[in-house]
Amino acid sequence: MPTDDLTPPEAARQAARAGVPLPADRHAAVAATAEHIRSVVAVLRELDLADTPPAAAYRAVPDHGTEVA
Amino acid sequence: MQPYELSLAAAAREIGARRLSPVDLVESVLDRIERVEPGLGAYAEVTAERAREGAREAEREIARSGPRGPLHGVPVALKDLIDVAGLATGAGSLVREGHRADADATVTARLAAAGAVLVGKTHTHEFAYGLVTPRTRNAWDRERIAGGSSGGSAAAVAAGAAPFTLGTDTGGSIRVPAALNGVVGLKPTYGLIPRHGVTPLSWSLDHVGPLTRTAEDAALVLAALAGHDPRDPASLDVPAPDHRPHPDDDLTGLRVGVPRTYYFDRVTEPVESAVRRAVGHLAELGATLVPVDIPLTRYIRATHWGLMVPEATAYHEAALRSAPERYGEDVRVLLEAGALMSATDHLRAQRARTLMRQEWARLWEQVDVIAAPAVPMTAVPAGQESVEWPDGTTESVPDAYVRLSAPANITGAPALSLPVGHDPAGLPIGMQLLARPLGEHTLLRVAQAHERTHPVRTLAPAAG
Repeated sequence: MPTDDLTPPEAARQAARAGVPLPADRHAAVAATAEHIRSVVAVLRELDLADTPPAAAYRAVPDHGTEVA
Repeated sequence: MQPYELSLAAAAREIGARRLSPVDLVESVLDRIERVEPGLGAYAEVTAERAREGAREAEREIARSGPRGPLHGVPVALKDLIDVAGLATGAGSLVREGHRADADATVTARLAAAGAVLVGKTHTHEFAYGLVTPRTRNAWDRERIAGGSSGGSAAAVAAGAAPFTLGTDTGGSIRVPAALNGVVGLKPTYGLIPRHGVTPLSWSLDHVGPLTRTAEDAALVLAALAGHDPRDPASLDVPAPDHRPHPDDDLTGLRVGVPRTYYFDRVTEPVESAVRRAVGHLAELGATLVPVDIPLTRYIRATHWGLMVPEATAYHEAALRSAPERYGEDVRVLLEAGALMSATDHLRAQRARTLMRQEWARLWEQVDVIAAPAVPMTAVPAGQESVEWPDGTTESVPDAYVRLSAPANITGAPALSLPVGHDPAGLPIGMQLLARPLGEHTLLRVAQAHERTHPVRTLAPAAG
């Protein structure tokens, strides 16, 4: 991820690479929203996740006393 | 009292005692819908003829062999994300124009098996990706938002246009509109009610649950809907817990956690006072109040977004390519921007969720339930986009409404919004009760004890 603010052309390029091509009149709005989302989720980088596994197929209830991923 | 004013439990008692026919109940609710809908806008579709036929069938069967259970002959409406065979699942979106569901969702089939009578589909914020539900107005004040995304389901129950409804909750979408419209909204334990046949927003955060006028009613609906279905990969295969209503108001020995952090931060004064007063009522009923600190609060919003945003985009990816102009602008830009999130962003959020779940498990060793506000403020006027707090911060309205709901979506813990009062403008205030996963029995026991001893009006006045 870039550390500087996302530019509209860069947002368009990344979206196209992700399979969601954007018309030109969408580039600025999507760049601004994507930058906002990035700023919100970026704080997770502060966490020391060490060997913590992802809760992917998530279960709220422990299974046999273990953390279930 | 008109039949449409009855709670689900009261209607069931009247039907069971043969004092009320399902035909009269359904007709009363259909009349009420016709009267309030022009100003309310709760329904995407009303299935009047189907409902009348269902009511006649229920009446015949009940006359012959008695009711199947408390839902038999009682009208219900479903959020328009839930499939009903032969009807459109409109999802509040032009993307779904011309849609027809081939089969019933699991919850639709279970309600039908319990004998409930479908009266219609209720409005959702487009694909549940928002907290407003713009087509629906607040049942207590038409100038204010119903909340969302299950706004139609909440407003319908509050206005007497359905005794109970179902909604979905990914970041508060049952509890927020329930609180704003002054009804009960239950988000059960993740996986307890199967989601097969329900349009997803975010697979790892989505829940289906009831909106009702009482916690007793929520217990009755939960009993009919809980249970394993392998077609939902998250569905829990656990022995059926006891979800029947609890008859005892004594809360002696119960530990109620009162958050010292997070849940009472940036909350308006009327909401804080009403919830603290309700917490005091729980102590009067015998509960022990235990101050608790909420873990990892700095990471709640980031974890929630890190899970929801890419999962929502993944679901909509094909339609974003083929018909992006059919989405509303607010939803489209979020879905498009979600394409820029990386797999490692999503995995980091999943790993943060593991940490959060571990920390909350420790919290559940200290207390049996947590009592907190459901939302930081009552319903805002339609069109208001942000809220300013006394600490100088500004928050978007959706962020504020999601803030106190997200922890239960991330951890999968059951959570319920219970009406506990009104602000000086007469708008409803909701208390949120949370319990450990599969702790619905305790959650509903506390909620029922409170509503029996300190009842609050849940039918909006002058809704016509």
